[in-house]
Parts: sequence; structure tokens; C-alpha cells
Amino acid sequence: MPGQPPTDDDDGRPSLATQRDTETVYQPAADSDLLARTARSHATPGDRGLDVGTGSGYVAETLAEAGVDVVASDLNPDACREAAARGVPAVRADLLAPFREDAFDLVTFNPPYLPTEPDKEWDDWMEHALSGGEDGRRLVDPFLEAVERVLAPGGRVFLLISSLTGIGDVQRYAHERGLAGEIVADEAHPYERLVVIRFESRDESPLP
Amino acid sequence: MDIICCPLDKHELDLEVDERDDEEVLAGSLVCTECGESYPIEDGIPNLLPPDMREDAPA
Repeated sequence: MPGQPPTDDDDGRPSLATQRDTETVYQPAADSDLLARTARSHATPGDRGLDVGTGSGYVAETLAEAGVDVVASDLNPDACREAAARGVPAVRADLLAPFREDAFDLVTFNPPYLPTEPDKEWDDWMEHALSGGEDGRRLVDPFLEAVERVLAPGGRVFLLISSLTGIGDVQRYAHERGLAGEIVADEAHPYERLVVIRFESRDESPLP
Repeated sequence: MDIICCPLDKHELDLEVDERDDEEVLAGSLVCTECGESYPIEDGIPNLLPPDMREDAPA
């Protein structure tokens, strides 16, 4: 589970301004690590990759080290700068909107997935990085609707999801949109189970 | 350039360079060949958000 968001408490903590670089961008945690390890083990050098919602750029950097020709994207300009500082080309984007059809062999996404009551939302960058809205799928659903367009033939998606979000619900939603999903990594944590689901276009999948 | 497109209509983008450092474009813009919308590049990072989201930053 990620750390607490910044507060306005003035109790001796460094000012928000001095913490800004660390507190506006989600830093690598157990979920990032599971996604990075899993995607790397399925990557082939020379694959064209996209890491959506890259945050600190950790997953993108891991893929780059594995020889993937990877681009990092995020809504948050501070996240784009952190990814670029890791040596990964970064673009500021709304999910998959500015990426071309058939462009990628590999797409990774560690989405904001925590279900959050509307009256508990706090409007800052960390909320954007953590909160998945009431059902936890605020960005997961639009991602699944759009991702097939940017996949090259045979392309694969690696999506990190928590049991808090509803793993079955996500798989059903994806299936209805032409994606075949398979859980390829599974890890128990104190308050949740983290899985990585690999999705492929159902048209490209071999028959069972 | 071969993986990005206009977020609004998915057409190709033309690169206009203002400042370049060896291979990397540090400042400039990407202009849609169809609708003409211009997307800024700052510090080497293209901002490909649709115009209505560009200023919509929380916090």
C-alpha cells in the first residue's frame, strides 16, 4: 500500500514546497515492483513498449533495461519529468489518446485502483495517482476500452490490479471488449492481493 | 514520432523545432496535419493532452 498523501498540517514537517518533488509523484511500491518484474520476464529486446501512468518511471526504466524501446506517459507533468530523469522518453498524455494504432508490442499500466468514496477524495496529484473512484476502475475501464487500438498484432498488455478493485469484474469488462485475460502474477499482501493480468486481443489468441 | 498522433483526431503530427540538443528536441511544438492543433514540447517532454485538459492541473 502506498504512503499517505500530503496534508496541510503545519507540525514541523518540511513545507509542501520542499517536499513537492517527492509528494506529487507516486513512488515505486510493491505494486510497481510486481508489475515491473512480471512485464520484464515477458519482454523481448526490441519490443516497442508503452508504460501508461508511469509515475516515477520505475516500470518503464525496468523495461528499458531489458532492451524494450519504451516510452513513458503520465497526466502529471512532475511524473513525466521524473521518468525523463531516469532516461526514459516521456510524453504527457491522457491515457492512450495520443498514441498511434498498432504502435506497441507491450503496454504496461499500474493504474490508480483504490476504491474511494466521493467525500473522501482530495484533489491533488497524489489523489490522481491512487484513487480509482467509487469502484476503483475510474481509469481501468477507459484504458481497457482503448488499449486494443494501440496494440501491434500479437501485442500484450500487462495490467496491475488489486483484489480491492475486483479482479473478476475487470476481467469480465475486458472480455466484453474483445480482450483475453490471464493472471500471470499473483502476490498476497496484508490488506489486498495484487495480480498482473496479461491481456491480448482475442482475435490474435490461439484457439483453446 | 512514429508512435504518437493527434489525441483529438489521430492524424499525424508535424514537428517544429525551436531548440535542439544533439538528437533531442528540447523545445518546439507538434502540429496536427489535419486539425492544426499545436501541442507544446517543453524540456524535451511533449504535452499531448487535448487542449481542454492542458490547464486542468489539480493542487
